[in-house]
Amino acid sequence: MTEMFSTLYGQNDAQGPPRSSSLGFGPGNPPPPLPPNQVPMAAQMPPQLGDEGPALRKPGAMNEPFYLLRELPVGNELTGNTNLITHYNLEHAYNKFCGKKVKEKLSNFLPELPGMIDWPGTQDGSSLRSLIEKPPVCGNSFSPLTGASLTGFRLHTGPLPEQYRLMHIQPPKKKSKHKHKHNRPQDPIPQETPSDSDPKKKKKKRDDDPDRKKKKKDKKKKKVRLLP
Amino acid sequence: MAEKFDNLEEHLEKFVENIRQMGIIVSDFQPSSQTGLNQKLNYMITGLQDIEKCRQQLHETNVPLEAFEYIDQGRNPQLYTKECLERALAKNEQVKGKIDTMTKFKSLLISELGKVFPEEMTKYKAIHGDDPPS
Repeated sequence: MTEMFSTLYGQNDAQGPPRSSSLGFGPGNPPPPLPPNQVPMAAQMPPQLGDEGPALRKPGAMNEPFYLLRELPVGNELTGNTNLITHYNLEHAYNKFCGKKVKEKLSNFLPELPGMIDWPGTQDGSSLRSLIEKPPVCGNSFSPLTGASLTGFRLHTGPLPEQYRLMHIQPPKKKSKHKHKHNRPQDPIPQETPSDSDPKKKKKKRDDDPDRKKKKKDKKKKKVRLLP
Repeated sequence: MAEKFDNLEEHLEKFVENIRQMGIIVSDFQPSSQTGLNQKLNYMITGLQDIEKCRQQLHETNVPLEAFEYIDQGRNPQLYTKECLERALAKNEQVKGKIDTMTKFKSLLISELGKVFPEEMTKYKAIHGDDPPS
């Protein structure tokens, strides 16, 4: 280390032009003498470099061989050295979200929401992004529909065409811990979806009685025996 | 704070349930269902009014746009929270590593400089004080 410093500051001009090394730490020449008009840089620095950090010490205040010595920055109490999750009391949240597996689908987050919500919103134009980019007309008050307005909602009798039956396509309902006591009006026979066409899933929906479960087990045993 | 969210959630659930029932009525419409449908339509407007009232309590609540992207993709928005926490922890550890490395480098540099330039380092320590042990 001392050799490096000596090579930087100890070379004479007689050795010729400076040689450059691969690291750029080649032998250097002493700085040229300043013309008499120029004031030493140390005295001129403080106002120019005030915005680059702590202020420089005034050269008159020290007689040390240290130039451009800055004040140490004021220590910030909160740095990356601290566990910020503990600092902001987010341990419970961290364990909740990162400790156990979070399910991927949106229907796991909103199990009670009808319709196929796991599809991307861009497919049917129901994305939240489109709502932000093209906000609807707001500011008008909501007034109940009068008799004249309700005449526009007189419908023809009969079932809807199949392609418009979207509300009845329910995602596969999973057993929730909290049982809802309110009774929902029964849905009409839903259109068969690929998930509903599986006969095993249809049978599972009716399995409330223990007798049926026993009968099923017997049937399964018979099937296992029959299969090669 | 959680009460206003619970209030909004309750109104939204009722609204969605009302819409679902309207869908059932409309899917196989009968003349006798017209009265019920009209009633549901007015319930829908009442529901919108209730949701509009909830908006005033929540105007200071901000939702990150990245969470909306998860919802638009049909993904659980809790995954966004999970990824935020994981990224925060990873960045925290990264910065802590940098701080530890720089602290060790500083103490090593001061000790080496003290060996090479003992007088100058004594003056330096007199100005800045003794550094805390790393």
